[in-house]
Amino acid sequence: MVARSQRERLLDAAVDVVAAKGYGATTVADLTKEAGVSRTTFYEHFKDKEACFLAAFDTAADVLARRIGAAFETEEAWPDRVRAGLAALLESLAGEPQIARLALVDIGSAGPQAQRRYRAALQRMTPFFDEGRDFAPGGRRLPANTSRMVVGAVTGLVSDEIEAGRADRLPEMLPEVLFASLVPYLGPAAAANAVGER
Amino acid sequence: MSAITETRRDSLLEAMVRVVGRKGYQATSVADVIEEAGTSRTTFYKHFDDKHDCFLSAYDMLVERVFDTIVAECDGEQPWLSRVRKGLATLIGIFAREPELARTAVVEVAVAGAEARQRHWDAVARFTEFLEDGREELDPGGELPKHISVMATGAVSGLIFDELVAGRTANLPSLMPDLLFAMLVPFIGPAAATEEMRRVVQAT
Repeated sequence: MVARSQRERLLDAAVDVVAAKGYGATTVADLTKEAGVSRTTFYEHFKDKEACFLAAFDTAADVLARRIGAAFETEEAWPDRVRAGLAALLESLAGEPQIARLALVDIGSAGPQAQRRYRAALQRMTPFFDEGRDFAPGGRRLPANTSRMVVGAVTGLVSDEIEAGRADRLPEMLPEVLFASLVPYLGPAAAANAVGER
Repeated sequence: MSAITETRRDSLLEAMVRVVGRKGYQATSVADVIEEAGTSRTTFYKHFDDKHDCFLSAYDMLVERVFDTIVAECDGEQPWLSRVRKGLATLIGIFAREPELARTAVVEVAVAGAEARQRHWDAVARFTEFLEDGREELDPGGELPKHISVMATGAVSGLIFDELVAGRTANLPSLMPDLLFAMLVPFIGPAAATEEMRRVVQAT
C-alpha cells in the first residue's frame, strides 16, 4: 500500500463512513477510527466533522472537473466535446460509487455551507455547455441561464440513479444525459440525431 | 382523532414547516416547534416520536397542499402547454408567497435524512408524471427519450434551488420565463420554447 498522509486518510475515511452511515450519523470518532489516526491528529487538520467532509467533497469535485475537462479537450466539434466530457463524468462516478454518493447525494444533506459549495462546484460545468451558444444556430438568443438548466437536468438524471443504488450503471445513461445537454441548443430532433451518431 | 386534537396536530405541522424554513433543519428543536405552534410539549409527543417524525408528516402535508393548489388551478387546462405554464406559475407563486415553505420543501428536506429525501424524490416524481402527458400530445411516434420529464424537472429544480440557497426567494417570479423555457425545451426545442418565454414576459 502506498503511504498516504494522515490528511488523505481522513478524507478517504470521510468518503467511506458517510457513504455507509450518512452525514448526520457520522461522528469525528468514526472518522478517526476508520483512518487510524488520533483525535488530536484530526483536530490538527480539521476544525470539525463538517470541515473534513467539505475537504473530501472539494477533492472529489476537483478530480471530477479535471477528468471532464481533459476529456472535453480531446474532441473538436462541440457535441463531440460534450459527449466525451459526459462519458468521463459517468465512468468516473460508476468507478467510484462512494465518491458519487458523496459528491451528488450526501453533500446536500450536510447543511447550508455544503449546499452552497455543491452549487458552486456544479457551476464549474457551465462553460462546457455555454460553447453551445456559438455552435447552435440562434444559440446567442437562448436564455443566459441555459447552461445552468443543463447542469440541473444532468444532475437530476445522475442523482436519481445514484440514489437508487445504480451508480455502476451510469455509463448506460450517456445517451439520455447527452440528449439533455444538447436539446436546449439544438432541439429534440437534432439532439436525438447527434446522440445516435457513432 | 377529535377535531381539536387534529387541529393541534396540524398547527404543529405548519409550525415545523415554518421553523425549519427559517432556522434550517439541523438548528430546529422540538422546543422551537412547540413555541411556534403555541402548544405544549405533551401535545407534541402525543402526536410524534421526535423532531424527525414530525418533519416527515409535515413534509407530507406540505406536498399535498402544494399539489392540491396546483391541481385546483390547472386541472382541465388544455392544451398541455398552457397546463404546464399555469402549473409552474402556481408553484412559483406559492414559493414566493411562502419563502419558509419553499426552503423547507426544496433545500432543507435534503438535510433531514434519507427518508425525507425519498419523500422529496416522490414529490418530484409526481411533477414528472404531470409532464408525461406532453409525451402523448407532442410525440405520438414515441421518439423522445425515456427520461425526458426528469430532465425537465431537474433543470427547473436546479434553478429554483440556486435562488433559494442564495436567499433570493422573492426573485423567483422574475425567473418564470427561464423556468418555463427549461421545462418545455426538451419537448418542443429552443425556438418554440423561446416563443413561449416571450409570451410569459408580455403577459407580466
